[in-house]
Amino acid sequence: MERETILEVNDLDITFELRGKRLHAIRGISLELYKGEILAIVGESGSGKSVFTKSFMGLLDKNGSVSGGNVVYYGSDDKVPVELTGIKKEKDWLKLRGHEIAMIMQDPMTSLNPLKTIGAQIMEAVLLHQKGSRTEAKKRTLQYLTDVGIQEPEKRFFQYPHEFSGGMRQRVVIAIAIACNPQILICDEPTTALDVTIQAQILELIKELRLKYKLSVILITHDLGVVANTADRVAVMYAGDIVEIGTSEDIFYDARHPYTWALLSSLPQVGIKGENLFSIAGTPPNLYAEIKGDAFAPRNPQALKIDFVKSPPYFSISPTHKAKTWLLDERAPKADPPPVLKIIREGGLF
Amino acid sequence: MLLYLSKRIARSFLTLIIILTVVFCLLRLMPIEGYFQNFDKMTPQQIEVGLKEMGLSDPLPLQIVHFFQKLLHGDLGTSRIYRSNVPVSDILADKVPVSIKLGIWSMVVSLLVGLPMGAFMARYQYRWFDKIGTFFIVCIQAVPAAVYFLYIQLYGTQLFHVGLLFQIDDPNYWILPVISMSLGNIAFYGMWLRRYMIDESNKDYVRLAKAKGLSEGNVMFKHIFRNAFVPLAQYIPTAFLNTVIGSIYIESLYSIPGMGGLLVTVIKKHDNAMVQGIVLLYACVGVLGLLLGDLMMVMLDPRISLGKKAGDR
Repeated sequence: MERETILEVNDLDITFELRGKRLHAIRGISLELYKGEILAIVGESGSGKSVFTKSFMGLLDKNGSVSGGNVVYYGSDDKVPVELTGIKKEKDWLKLRGHEIAMIMQDPMTSLNPLKTIGAQIMEAVLLHQKGSRTEAKKRTLQYLTDVGIQEPEKRFFQYPHEFSGGMRQRVVIAIAIACNPQILICDEPTTALDVTIQAQILELIKELRLKYKLSVILITHDLGVVANTADRVAVMYAGDIVEIGTSEDIFYDARHPYTWALLSSLPQVGIKGENLFSIAGTPPNLYAEIKGDAFAPRNPQALKIDFVKSPPYFSISPTHKAKTWLLDERAPKADPPPVLKIIREGGLF
Repeated sequence: MLLYLSKRIARSFLTLIIILTVVFCLLRLMPIEGYFQNFDKMTPQQIEVGLKEMGLSDPLPLQIVHFFQKLLHGDLGTSRIYRSNVPVSDILADKVPVSIKLGIWSMVVSLLVGLPMGAFMARYQYRWFDKIGTFFIVCIQAVPAAVYFLYIQLYGTQLFHVGLLFQIDDPNYWILPVISMSLGNIAFYGMWLRRYMIDESNKDYVRLAKAKGLSEGNVMFKHIFRNAFVPLAQYIPTAFLNTVIGSIYIESLYSIPGMGGLLVTVIKKHDNAMVQGIVLLYACVGVLGLLLGDLMMVMLDPRISLGKKAGDR
């Protein structure tokens, strides 16, 4: 099935200057986002998930810059592809931010302005990105509040963020993002700060809104449990690179990269009562230094000799599924996938 | 809210009464020599008569009661030494408006200059405007006020063609004192607003506002400014009152007939009625300042609700 690409990342490099040193945060990522899908990007803290998506909106911190590759956006109204990495002026970013790509941040407790009513904050986005009078904007705002599942919108419109719980605030933040009328919605760990019962509701809401507003969603998370029920495709990120990408089924039932195996094995859901939970030994590599070979090799007990010398290319497993590991080379010794895959498949965990 | 306000005002009155009583008692502890011009040559009888005339020979509680009775009728007592037999209220009525006028102008100027300065410094952080502003603030904070006051007077009087003797009806004469008084506050507002705004601009809601597609300027003025202004707002009434009562040096420099320095003078002269009157005024002004500061906070920040106890929702 040929799907329409809305965002294309080609060999993207992002570096940060920190006290005279260069930190290579994103190391040559290529990726496509298809229209209407939910693409999850998973990886541990510091793997570069947020930085990666911030670069789509020109919101990198001042000391960070794109040092190679490009990002192309195909969703603009006039169908002309826009090279996001070529945008230099703040003015040009303003045409894109919110209007084409909107973002939801991690902590709903702090992402709303405490001194403005939530109505005013949503309406601000409506007035900025949609044509129409103030009365119309207000009507739309109330509609968005209803859409994100906030009851009594007329009353809630005039309330302040401190009068909302964390889950409700995240709904408001989502309403703000939707009110921008974007094509792409980036959700940067939207459920991390929320408790488990609310997490499911918020994810459900994101899925619903994607259909209603025809959004393409990038869902950043470090929680594979969140991914399983939500995402269409999953990209596994490690040390600034995507080591494996595939559909949810590919990743959960047929993972090929040792890092993905390790991630899946660390899921508390697959732990056995009475036994220690699995954890990945070691720490992620230092991104200040040049990484030689496979970035995950030092932490990988099954690493091959070549892993320390040469970085692996992508090996295709199926049209939707590819992974960056030498294990997939035909000359490699056969490595057994860990028992976790079997547990997941047979236990029907996800 | 109204309930809170009335409670708060009642408590303010109580504070005033306590302040007045304490000051009243303290004044009565002063040696009685000060009440008389030629104490050494007076006989004990003369002294007693004199004290009686001034109402000072009654028992202390009775004196306090008398004092408050008179106060309720608007009688602040009569000055005996500072100006012979002139009601305190008349003396203050001459001087207070001048000081208040000076204070208001200086506040208006310092807010109108200081706030935009701070905001622009934060907006263009580390750029030339910020650097010049920082230089200005450091100068004002580091150089003793007396030094630049003198320079302002020295060069300013030539610039505006004003004489040294203050003329209350000529607006030109107000310019230099107002500028002198404002400089410190301009630096204060500029410095703190810049700092608070920079603090705020690293917060998540600012990132969301940017992600919404708001321009940097709009984010600054629609979102950051008000948040940064809240902690400052609390100090504005107090700062205003400080300029009203604390302009001793400037008033003497320009020979402005305000009330700066009056308190020190009358304490030295043992003019109890005057001391009492001025303390009452200062206390009112101080209590009012705090009240206004809190009210401003409530108006600006919906999270602060004075009417409700903490934890109420």
